[in-house]
Amino acid sequence: MTKHSPSRSPLRAFASPDVGGVVQGAAALFWLPQAALLAMAVQGLASGRGFAAVIWPAGAILLLGLLRAGCEAWGARRTFTRARAQLTALREQTAAALAGSSPLDRSRAPSGLAASVLAEQAEALVPYLVRYQPARWRATVVPIFVLCAVAAFSWVAALVLLFAAPLIPVFMAIVGWRAKAASEAQMVEMGGMNAFLLDRLRGLATLRALDAVETTAQRLGDAAQSLRRRTMAVLRIAFLSSAVLELFSALGVAMVAAYVGFHLLGSLGFGTWGRTLSLGEGLFVLLLAPAFFEPLRELSAVWHDRAAGEAALEALDRLQRNDLPLPGANASLTRAATGVPGGAPAIAIHNLHFSWPGEQQEVFEGYELRIAAGEHIALMGPSGSGKTALLSILAGLVPATRGEISIGGVALTDHTVAALRQRMTWMGQAPHVFAGSVETNVALGRVGVDAPQVAEAMRFASLEAVTQAHPGVTLGEGGHGLSGGEAVRLALARVAVHPHADLLLVDEPTAHLDTETAERVADALVALARGKTLVVATHDPVLAARMDRAVNLGAEALEKAA
Amino acid sequence: MKAMPTHATNWRDLRLVLRPFLAAQPRPLLLGCLLAAVTVLAGMALLGLSGWFITATALAGLHAATAFTFDVFMPSAGIRLLALGRTASRYGERLVTHDATFAVLAALRVRLFRGWAKAEAARELLMRPARLLFRLTADIDALESLYLRLLVPAAAALGAALLAGVVLGFMHVAMGLALMLWLVTVGWGIAFVVARRARRPAVQRAHAIEALRARAVDLVAGQTDLVMAGRIGAQRQALMNADMHLAKADLALNKLEAAAGFAYGSAGTLTLVGVLLAVGLLVGEGVIGAPAAALALLVALTATEPFAALRRGALDAGRTWLAVRRLAPRMSEESASTSTANEPDATLALQLKRVTVVHDGSRTPVLSDVTLTLNAGERVALIGASGAGKSTLLAAIAGEITPQSGSKSAQPACLLTQRTELFQDSLRDNLRLAAPNATDDQLHAVLHAAGLEDEVRALATGLDTRLGEGGLGLSGGQSRRLALARLLLRPVPLWLLDEPTEALDAATAHDVLQRLARHAGPRTLLIATHLRREAALADRLVCMRQGRIVADLRRGTEAFDAALRSLRPD
Repeated sequence: MTKHSPSRSPLRAFASPDVGGVVQGAAALFWLPQAALLAMAVQGLASGRGFAAVIWPAGAILLLGLLRAGCEAWGARRTFTRARAQLTALREQTAAALAGSSPLDRSRAPSGLAASVLAEQAEALVPYLVRYQPARWRATVVPIFVLCAVAAFSWVAALVLLFAAPLIPVFMAIVGWRAKAASEAQMVEMGGMNAFLLDRLRGLATLRALDAVETTAQRLGDAAQSLRRRTMAVLRIAFLSSAVLELFSALGVAMVAAYVGFHLLGSLGFGTWGRTLSLGEGLFVLLLAPAFFEPLRELSAVWHDRAAGEAALEALDRLQRNDLPLPGANASLTRAATGVPGGAPAIAIHNLHFSWPGEQQEVFEGYELRIAAGEHIALMGPSGSGKTALLSILAGLVPATRGEISIGGVALTDHTVAALRQRMTWMGQAPHVFAGSVETNVALGRVGVDAPQVAEAMRFASLEAVTQAHPGVTLGEGGHGLSGGEAVRLALARVAVHPHADLLLVDEPTAHLDTETAERVADALVALARGKTLVVATHDPVLAARMDRAVNLGAEALEKAA
Repeated sequence: MKAMPTHATNWRDLRLVLRPFLAAQPRPLLLGCLLAAVTVLAGMALLGLSGWFITATALAGLHAATAFTFDVFMPSAGIRLLALGRTASRYGERLVTHDATFAVLAALRVRLFRGWAKAEAARELLMRPARLLFRLTADIDALESLYLRLLVPAAAALGAALLAGVVLGFMHVAMGLALMLWLVTVGWGIAFVVARRARRPAVQRAHAIEALRARAVDLVAGQTDLVMAGRIGAQRQALMNADMHLAKADLALNKLEAAAGFAYGSAGTLTLVGVLLAVGLLVGEGVIGAPAAALALLVALTATEPFAALRRGALDAGRTWLAVRRLAPRMSEESASTSTANEPDATLALQLKRVTVVHDGSRTPVLSDVTLTLNAGERVALIGASGAGKSTLLAAIAGEITPQSGSKSAQPACLLTQRTELFQDSLRDNLRLAAPNATDDQLHAVLHAAGLEDEVRALATGLDTRLGEGGLGLSGGQSRRLALARLLLRPVPLWLLDEPTEALDAATAHDVLQRLARHAGPRTLLIATHLRREAALADRLVCMRQGRIVADLRRGTEAFDAALRSLRPD
């Protein structure tokens, strides 16, 4: 629990209302003197003082009104600026947590989910902080002031308000809040219609092939209509809660008006501390009645901001959960003691233990392996035998449970891993295609990689054809624009652009490739790895045969199982 | 000069998007606006009448005689009626406006779907990154606020201005007219100015959030590559950079919002003060009495409130405008006419003559001068390295791509895409896409043929089992079998199969292929592949290289066997 509590810290400051919120709330109180002035003016008019009766109140009302509008604007700005800074802080924290967890953590959120939480869902936090929190504060403070002001003149009118106000939450609780939750669920489902549309658009080629465009369009329409009917059935009840609020506030105003009217007429003499109200006092009480209910209405209008905001907080919190840390993510970069780069590194693995988090089965139990400097080695074995795990441990992408690994004589630790990675290059099974041009996808923004180097690497991996096929195209999220072969060529270019690396870690470079392309990839790899240490995990016997040595991980696992 | 055409385009775009919006549900949309206005009016009348009542009773109460004859029942009944009426109309307004919005958005989605479902568009979509698809949903959501946040409050505010004008007009015509004009000019004017000025930050905001999203995807999905390149910190920085731009746009919008709030607040006070001075004059001259003055004041007090509700809508207008611009192109035409495929004579399944395909903006053709004839019933494998143009050729035959030159005649064909495309729907409806009227027995029969029947029967909900997005919930092999079953339901003589067993394990792949061969019957098969097991199904190998057909080999020749051997084994 303590691990996750820091994520809330940027919000702790909001437990108490800040200056902006207080000013906004206080601005609503300006209505009290304004109403008093207005009532005085009417009283003056009624007593026949004519135009002279309104000049001074008009001036004061204008001044107060401008002051009120100014306070509200200033408070809103301040609250917003603060809330927006909180959002930035939370995003930064979440991004750091995401970057500091191992990419091989199986329990972590997929990129699409992480992106939608970090980008869209997190946005819900600002309305929560900006609208809901001040509204809640106002709803607790302003009605009390109004009530006191009303009670000073008439305890009956105050009672009427006091009676109506607590009934609002009661009735809203009865019809409202549960239905409100249901309606929010329904709104989410309504948003699901977009998912429906996207789902069908993604499979449009198939829909056209099956001649099912027309039926799908109809289904899309039917589904939306039936969902609409269901949603409306829920909303019919959910909207009752706001109707109750309206009803009580309207009835509250009406009852106060009726009481004051009858009192002034002389029919109802009681309720005013033993004296008779003047017209001005009566009008003042009436003018305050709607102001009593206004903060409550406001609070109800921003009610869903709270639900959305808290859901966003929770989602961000979940993203920060981290079962498998990335080695070295929190250590300062130590450049020292990484050995003198000059020769390809030898690798020694001693007494390696590793198991996936939450799994009993150990992938490695005291595993030993020595790789000579400059050796090319193939890791073979069935799926699940730990080929990818071993490569990832060497690259420091996942922490070993126990054991010693040294690369070029330097022990792989949290402190050395970042520096050690500088001499490695990595070619994964499915290279991620970044949003950007082919060139940026090759360079990845690495320091010291210039345009000629990128061009050279692209030539080496015959990537020019790809750029020609997609001229000026920004490759993007998911990289649907690239075929399997093109993606592998991109990965090769990424390796080639980093000529100073002397340890190449390669995972299944030829899987799902046609023979011709696979052969070219193998050629390229061998050429790139000349004079360097190469560790490649593969199923492909043709590729394995081109290495100096093949290590079978599965055989050992089988032996152990036997 | 330059502004004119853009202005015209804006209006055309807006019309294109609004037409289905308004035409589909004109009455509920109008009713929603009316009810919104009635709600506002009832609220104003309630407070105005109350003020009049109190003032009148106070004056009447001064003398016992007038107090006795004062008619209290009409006003107090009116007050009660207005209180209840406001509640009812508010409730009705919310129901009607929401219902109408949902209906409109439903129609809009269908229209957009049809807009995208054209031959070229389908392929274009496939090439598009998820980001752009995602943008579509954001655009649809943005349109939602157009009615609820802009049109409805604008109508309600207009109603308020009219009522205030009429009520005060009865006391003094010039005062009423002046108030009405002032309210409409200032109320709408502020909204208009805010909407115009919000456009830039709103567009910047939309772009920044897209960038933030893309960078978050890159941070998570590309983490391995970034960590190994030592760039993970830079990526985090880039992400926070996007957030910085977003915050800048947010703050600009908030500044506008605060300014608009100040403007509306000041306008409200000015209205109140103006009316106060005016009624002071009128009472002084004896034109109206104090109760009327109270009525006028309270009406003026409430008249500006509905205008303030326009603020949110005006701020959103910038985003809505962007959505309109983006969606309009897909709404322009009614659904496309189906491509008129000329069928070849009965003995031929397909005839391509000198077909050339060049992608937009590219100089190198993906297919150049391809001539290919398939006899009915032939089984042909299309082989070649990745990027040789195999998939493009299938797409051209299926009509997904229009060639720049050359002619095509083909029997009705069905394309099994490389990626298994299943949908978020029940198993039954996934299958029925191919044959909308198929019975459950027929579905079970094809599932049996595809080797999936037992597994489906074993499911608790059988054919009613719902799949997740993109067919989530099935294994790769199950998905492919389901796609195969769907293909079997399709009564077409020509099957175009794009790597039908890619990414399946060997045992599953062989099983699927066997079933495919068995149930293909007399159909013509064209299989794009780089796998030996798939090509072995064929009696003829067509080899492609860089968009051209370089060899056409028949089973039984030495070259055929050699080509087959060169393909990847399992």
